[in-house]
Amino acid sequence: MKTRMAFGSIVMMFVLALPVHAGGKGDLQKYFSDAANKVKATDNPSEKRAILNESFHTMSKALDIVQNSPLISKDDRVGIARFKATLQEKQDELAGTNGYTRVSDSQLNAFSDYVVQDAEQAEMVTISLLVLVLIIILIVLIVR
Amino acid sequence: MRDPYSRSVKGALYSMLFVSVCCAVLTVLLTSCSANLPIQRDAQQAEEGVLATQYSIVCIIHGDGDYLYHDTSGNEYYADEEALAGVKRVAQQNPHAEVFIFHQRPRRHFLFFFPLHDGEFYYYRNGRLIANELYWRDQEQLHFDPEVGLYRRFRADNQHKMVSLFLYFGHEIPEVGGAGYDASYPDRPFTIHDLAGELKGFTRDSARFDLMVLSTCFGGTPYTIDTLGSFARYIIASPGNLHLSYFDLHSLERLDLSLQDGDVHAFAKRFAYQAFDRLTRNIQTAVSVSVYDVNRVQEYVHAVHGVYDETLTTLKGETRSIATIEHCDCADIPAYVLPTMNEGIDVFYRPARFGRSKLKQNHSGWECWKDLQPQGATSQTTESVLK
Repeated sequence: MKTRMAFGSIVMMFVLALPVHAGGKGDLQKYFSDAANKVKATDNPSEKRAILNESFHTMSKALDIVQNSPLISKDDRVGIARFKATLQEKQDELAGTNGYTRVSDSQLNAFSDYVVQDAEQAEMVTISLLVLVLIIILIVLIVR
Repeated sequence: MRDPYSRSVKGALYSMLFVSVCCAVLTVLLTSCSANLPIQRDAQQAEEGVLATQYSIVCIIHGDGDYLYHDTSGNEYYADEEALAGVKRVAQQNPHAEVFIFHQRPRRHFLFFFPLHDGEFYYYRNGRLIANELYWRDQEQLHFDPEVGLYRRFRADNQHKMVSLFLYFGHEIPEVGGAGYDASYPDRPFTIHDLAGELKGFTRDSARFDLMVLSTCFGGTPYTIDTLGSFARYIIASPGNLHLSYFDLHSLERLDLSLQDGDVHAFAKRFAYQAFDRLTRNIQTAVSVSVYDVNRVQEYVHAVHGVYDETLTTLKGETRSIATIEHCDCADIPAYVLPTMNEGIDVFYRPARFGRSKLKQNHSGWECWKDLQPQGATSQTTESVLK
């Protein structure tokens, strides 16, 4: 009786199981794309800047946590460091610091597209899938 | 006396189990069928089709990796699916072409155990779909063996009279290493050298494609153009990053009109400009599209062959990691700045609208590798390791 129930449950799981979505880089891109959509949804430049800054800040925080983990490989640590560097450059350009000309109010929508498209270029993120998933999980937790 | 509640629970479980098994069996049966369309064997019809076929297009669309991108409205797209739709349109709009489309997809399983086909082949002739087959991209074989086999089964006989094109869509094809290019077959490397080896299967009698279009990032390096140039008269590639929306393919529709005069070079420039124009409308990152006249760039690629080879050897070295090297314009490295650098190449370039590279107003059309680590630091690192 118990064996039959267990077998039935297992078969049910297989039939009803949804495809496993590995996430990873796709979720990373979606994160920036969602931020870009929020930027374009408001007309207020200050709000646009706040949304962009918040997206960079949250991502950087997640990267810091992952980077400090002893379980991360050397290559992943390097990849994270490069990713953090590119994020910092975007923050600098948004604010007009570190030699950058400040992104003007009229260019904030285009800048948000730039952030998305830069993230979608394969060479920008060279981090393993496992670490990418970890970063996304942390972002979800931080945002909550 | 049996508990009626227990009996009804047991009955429900058995029913669910029966339905589950039936669904599983039905799904396995349906998914194991390949989408085969009958080949038209009518001799007269085939002969008429062959006589009217003046263009041959072989297209490989790599989809076994991260190909998700978003448009400016936030809509999601998969680059390989979009490329497939575009090439199908090209095939349907060309009444005088035969088009071979190979869509390389990720390996998936049904119910975790039953493997699904990971390649899909489409053959169009004279605008009509003649064959559509699922196939296995077997890990045991060389990379394009299944594709070459399908190509040889269906190709028209008058290949030498046709204008031939080869299109590749995918991520940057590595020049060294290459492991992990296919997410489903991470241990099977794929490099430019491997692609060149497989291209022999799509050409015959040492013939070259009239035009090769590489819709990948960093396809315009001296090594890549030199290696693939054995198989093409003209190559269109992006020396820099290429957005996943790839090159626009509308120029390929109605080749009988756009290539009527047979001037492949002029056609390649029009294609490249149209692709560049469409990309620059919505893309904020750098856009670069180049046309390489393979014969005319030979002097340059041979002149820089030695120094580029040294770079590749360094890349293969164990002391190097991806953190210490990055792509750059060859014009930024003195060893590559030669009088012949601009010969045989047409470059369409627009810098990024943001970032440090927005200040770079020109591009040579050639992409190289830049060592981020100073030479002294490298030597010290090696010595400390040896100690």
